[in-house]
Amino acid sequence: MWDSLRQSLDLTLFWEYRTILLRGLLQNIYIFFGGALLATALAFAIGAARLSKRGTVRILSTGYAELFRNTPEYVFLIWVYYVLPIIFSRLLATKFNFSPYAAAVLALGVSYSGFLSETVRAGILAIPRTHIDAAMALGMSRWMIMRRIIAPQAIRRMLPEALNQYVSLFKATSLVSLIAVEDLMYQVSMITVHEMRPLPLYTGAALLYCGIIIAAAQCIQHLSDRWRQRGWA
Amino acid sequence: MLDNFNRLVLANLHTLGAGLSVTAYVCFFSFLLAVVLGAMACLVRLYVPFIRIVAIGYIEFCRATPIFVQLLWVNYVWPELFGFPKSVVGAGIIALALQSSGYLAETFRSGIEGLPKGQREAALAVGMTHFQIMRRIVMPQVLLVMAPSLVNQMTVVIKSSTLVSVIAIPDLMYEALKIVNAWFEPIEVLTSTALIYVVAIFLISMLAKRVSDRFRNKYGLAAQA
Amino acid sequence: MTTPEAIIRVVNLRKSFGPLDVLCGITFDVREGSVFTIIGASGSGKSTLLRCLNYLEQPTSGEIYLDGKPIGFRIEADGRRVPDTAANISRMRAELGMVFQQFNLWPHLTAIENIIEAPLRVKRLARKEALDIGRHFLGKVNLFDKENEYPARLSGGQQQRVAIARAMAMQPKVMLFDEATSALDPELTGEVLEVMRALAKEGTTMLVVTHEMGFAREVSDRVMFLHNGQIEEDGSPESVFNAPRSERCRQFLSKVLH
Repeated sequence: MWDSLRQSLDLTLFWEYRTILLRGLLQNIYIFFGGALLATALAFAIGAARLSKRGTVRILSTGYAELFRNTPEYVFLIWVYYVLPIIFSRLLATKFNFSPYAAAVLALGVSYSGFLSETVRAGILAIPRTHIDAAMALGMSRWMIMRRIIAPQAIRRMLPEALNQYVSLFKATSLVSLIAVEDLMYQVSMITVHEMRPLPLYTGAALLYCGIIIAAAQCIQHLSDRWRQRGWA
Repeated sequence: MLDNFNRLVLANLHTLGAGLSVTAYVCFFSFLLAVVLGAMACLVRLYVPFIRIVAIGYIEFCRATPIFVQLLWVNYVWPELFGFPKSVVGAGIIALALQSSGYLAETFRSGIEGLPKGQREAALAVGMTHFQIMRRIVMPQVLLVMAPSLVNQMTVVIKSSTLVSVIAIPDLMYEALKIVNAWFEPIEVLTSTALIYVVAIFLISMLAKRVSDRFRNKYGLAAQA
Repeated sequence: MTTPEAIIRVVNLRKSFGPLDVLCGITFDVREGSVFTIIGASGSGKSTLLRCLNYLEQPTSGEIYLDGKPIGFRIEADGRRVPDTAANISRMRAELGMVFQQFNLWPHLTAIENIIEAPLRVKRLARKEALDIGRHFLGKVNLFDKENEYPARLSGGQQQRVAIARAMAMQPKVMLFDEATSALDPELTGEVLEVMRALAKEGTTMLVVTHEMGFAREVSDRVMFLHNGQIEEDGSPESVFNAPRSERCRQFLSKVLH
């Protein structure tokens, strides 16, 4: 066992292939940013819709959020990559194909917009009614109230939880190798097949993700504490 | 499309059913193991001074590593390193358990630390020992407070279990993909599979919330959000 | 010097929290069967003193004896003082009953279950015996019909009375009351004070920290005024309330009694 242990912690293989592996990681990062952007945009739309005065809008948006919160990310990813193009092709009567990247960004973005919309909704609801009443009493318009009173406070309150969701999203990008995106795990598999030595690479990949995420989580914790001190969140 | 549905889904209901039962089996045991590991890690972190740092390292690792990466690592590396797990099902269960045990350990911790200290003091004042207090006073209350998080982790385990198909565990996702690969017609099968998962997860959450509210009602506490 | 009936003896008790000295050398005796009341301003160390008695706070120095036996430490054969084991401390605590300001009833157990929990687990009584004792004390605090209610459904006064029954069910040598009525709405303090008066009349040894001056005056055998961790006044209720010798005590009483 000790021999294996030494072998598995021998990260020289990792170092040897670092360019390819890091290029793979870069794919994860690109998809992360794409997905995060999409998820955020959708989350604001859905989150606001869940607080709408119109019943149908509320029900539909709540349905959306519940649907995507309860859908496994992997299933949805496969569905978007294989099924959606077929549906689009039939609807648009033309051959339609997703690149794996597009599918990954779309799937992860929509999937996490469900969680994020809940965060947005909670952030907006957390603003005391009295602030809005005061603004209305001063004669501010609805739009102005949204822009100047609600949005700044809501965004500050949402940030800690939203950042945690983004970290989860980054972790989920590890799935994209399963639809043939040449990300970190894809390269690890390729090299493993080539080298016939799984140990250091899988361990290395685990430690790499671990390191990135722990560093990110520490930053977020630090920032959250600083914001809470300033009375923001 | 409807007869496609019949041909692909209804005719194969029995294989999909078998897959679903494998999924249930894997999820059940993973969650159980996760609760045990999470509780142990939490208690070590809180009460055993020497190996505290090991517990913290374990918890951080489990939380920070994506489930897919953990799955591949446990399945391919552990047999060489530790000699177990000897089967893919074992690997799947262990990996899923590791992932959730990190979150559960933290949930346990915030539950225990959040308990008003007067609860423990009243127990100390009547002469109860540390173990008695943990077992009779702290744990029951912590479990009640933690119920929503426990349910949430249950759904996370179910969602993550879809990945075990990658290491050839014949769960629902694996069977569904097998049918898709055999027939090259993904729409009906994949959509049905997705809906099965969604409905299952939704029902479990609802059921758990109902049970939790019933308990809270019994004790006279207000229902949780 | 130990008088024969001193069930509690405190010798030169000191307690500091870091740089803050909360108790600065407290010495006193409590006679068995007496009601000993401690009064003073917030921050004077009253609660800390009580919590040191059942070792919820560990004294920085000094000694406490319950019925002649030291709490928190042991005297070895060669005369050395060593810290006591957790098991022994638990055993001593079982002989002291404490009633808290915040009641601290266990919310997942019914009233009767709260009361019999310790007799069952600590004294290892049979369930039937524990239930009999529990119901007896529940009846004494006039809550016989609330036996199967959970704490969340009881009023503050009722919860505190259950807490008193819970402490009494262990049949301790001494009952400690840490501002037992301070967290109650005014109209509920009466029912709790009544229970405490009844206990006093039966001859229970009680150490009471309180702001209820009426109770202190009428029911106590001895009153102690604490200020900044030191005993400023100590004597019978008549002498302390009518003719206090300490200036600070006089000021405190004039503020508290209108």
